[in-house]
Amino acid sequence: MTNHASDLIVTENLRKDYREDDIVVPAVRGVDLVIKEREFTALVGPSGSGKTTLLNIISGLDSPTEGRVWLKGKPISEMKGAELSDFRRDHIGFVFQAYNLIPVLSAEENIEYIMMLQGVPKNERRERVRKILGDVGLQGMGRRMPPKLSGGQQQRVAIARAMVSRPGLILADEPTANLDSETGAALLDIMRELNEKTGMTFLFSTHDRMVMDRADRIITLKDGRVARDEIRAENPIR
Amino acid sequence: MGFFIKLAWRNIFRNKRRTFIAGIAIAVGLASLIFCDALIRGMKDNLIKSATASFLGEGQIHARRFWETQDAEKTVNNLPTVLDGLRSEKDVELFTLRTMSLGTISSPANVSSVLFVGVNPETEQRLSRVDDVLEEGSYFRDGGKRDMVLGGDLAELLEVELGDRVVVTVSRAGSGDLAQEMFRVSGIFRFHIKEMDGSFAFARIDKAREMLGLDGGAHEIALKFRDNRFALDPGNPFWDTYSREGNEAVSWTALLPELTRVMDMVWVALGFLAVILFGIVVFGIINTLFMSLYERMFEFGVLRAVGTRPSDVRKLIVCEAGALAVLSIVMGSILGFVLTFVLAQTGIDYRGIEFAGTGFSELLYPVLHFSQFIIYPAAVFVFTILVGLYPARAAGRLTVADALRKSL
Ligand SMILES: Nc1ncnc2c1ncn2[C@@H]1O[C@H](COP(=O)(O)OP(=O)(O)O)[C@@H](O)[C@H]1O
Ligand SMILES: [Mg+2]
Repeated sequence: MTNHASDLIVTENLRKDYREDDIVVPAVRGVDLVIKEREFTALVGPSGSGKTTLLNIISGLDSPTEGRVWLKGKPISEMKGAELSDFRRDHIGFVFQAYNLIPVLSAEENIEYIMMLQGVPKNERRERVRKILGDVGLQGMGRRMPPKLSGGQQQRVAIARAMVSRPGLILADEPTANLDSETGAALLDIMRELNEKTGMTFLFSTHDRMVMDRADRIITLKDGRVARDEIRAENPIR
Repeated sequence: MGFFIKLAWRNIFRNKRRTFIAGIAIAVGLASLIFCDALIRGMKDNLIKSATASFLGEGQIHARRFWETQDAEKTVNNLPTVLDGLRSEKDVELFTLRTMSLGTISSPANVSSVLFVGVNPETEQRLSRVDDVLEEGSYFRDGGKRDMVLGGDLAELLEVELGDRVVVTVSRAGSGDLAQEMFRVSGIFRFHIKEMDGSFAFARIDKAREMLGLDGGAHEIALKFRDNRFALDPGNPFWDTYSREGNEAVSWTALLPELTRVMDMVWVALGFLAVILFGIVVFGIINTLFMSLYERMFEFGVLRAVGTRPSDVRKLIVCEAGALAVLSIVMGSILGFVLTFVLAQTGIDYRGIEFAGTGFSELLYPVLHFSQFIIYPAAVFVFTILVGLYPARAAGRLTVADALRKSL
């Protein structure tokens, strides 16, 4: 397999079998994918088609049964322990479906968290938090505790946390699934805007039409395989 | 690290009820340890006082081998020189002279063996507490030469009351001839110590010397020091200084070795208590930490996903154990202090219970000491941290993808 400089994610014959007692559940069955930098890609497919499993393997949260994953040219599927943690911390931002935030930390503190792990000085942290809160439309809400924020606001804080350390790749597993479609669409608009503004790559799973319509590329999974890979609109920056 | 401490502190208050219950369990354990320590200190003070102040004194001087032979001739050697020396010792508060002899005592009703002690009432009542525990009569108050103060059990055995007559028989020094004298019961004491109440009889030392044929001699000099810690040190040169010329000076710790041994055993018992209490506390801490870990599985999944190292997750759990410990220590120290302080004011009534051959003749006052609020809290803290390592290890090992699939 040849790697190009602009290839951010490369998967090679990725397979994942879950074993439950004697039963083997094949969740991902041979996925070869290349995601380029700056892409804004939706991963779609019915429930159980392997979206979460694929995202987890790409980000090193889970290990493949077979095959390999390169991220920025680094074999993330071979990394372990602190090295893997640090790699995720520095190169991948995460947004989950819900409960992204640590409830005892304020919005600000949640956003600061990763920068703190990275050892970013306090002043710079403060400045970056202030700016990103504006980017996601939450200026002045930094002191709020997560339970005091609406679902849509919580997801925006999660996006801010994922992006504030400038990781290059944002993975979002059904980020809008717990939101009404209007709020979900608004969240996607923010992601889209930040994608264009910062050049960060977004890969998100969804089964919401409104959400996938906003993607440049739609990869459809079915029974753990790529059933369709459709480039809908050329990203103007690409 | 500072951040993890902050996060841990907030985390333990997420389930206030559970934290409070675990905290109270640890706090009660800590308070018990503080209180038991104070009680043992009080008991020790009380025992030393009972043992030494009732009669023994904190130190004694006799002629060598006097105790073994009980020989009336073996009086303290060079008595005037020894007394001069003692008068100039600044650590010696007071001393008193005694004659001691085994004999028999008889009444019309009965006869018994007796430890017949000649005392100088003026100095004796300042050193010993016989005069404080009189059940009846007085302590040589009305100058009768033949007055006798005897133990309550002995009086019962002899069926005598105040004013009754008893006859004491002892053998004289030198000749070994029997000497017999009549005494009048003028006081009856009760220490609640069997040996003393059943076999001691006190008379004036002049009368006793006369009977025993001792010219101004004494068998024993009982000592009281200005500081009761003086006698606790067997290496003190004082003992050597007065163990010359055929005399021997010993501290009460040598006279009552079982008492010192028992005190050591009490401390060992406290150690066992500590182990048991800590054992109970372990379950509380482990249970609390694991419950909060399982409840927050998804959250730990998120923390790990966004780049928290396994070692940092372990650190967080250990900090949570530490936060729980600090909370418990504050509660336990206050509880222990209040409990001990209150009982140190009122005292605990243990009188009449015999312990290691001595009785508690006074109320027992637990003794507060600053070390109780350092050693035990520190032990609880270290211990809680150590116990926290177990759930911390489990948290460090969890598979991120599995944790993220939990709950929701
Ligand atoms: N931990 C697991 N153990 C066993 N089977 C699993 C596990 N996680 C997922 N699966 C199975 O793998 C398949 C893919 O699941 P998933 O990746 O969650 O799909 P999606 O995110 O598209 O809904 C499903 O059949 C699911 O039941
Ligand atoms: Mg899923």
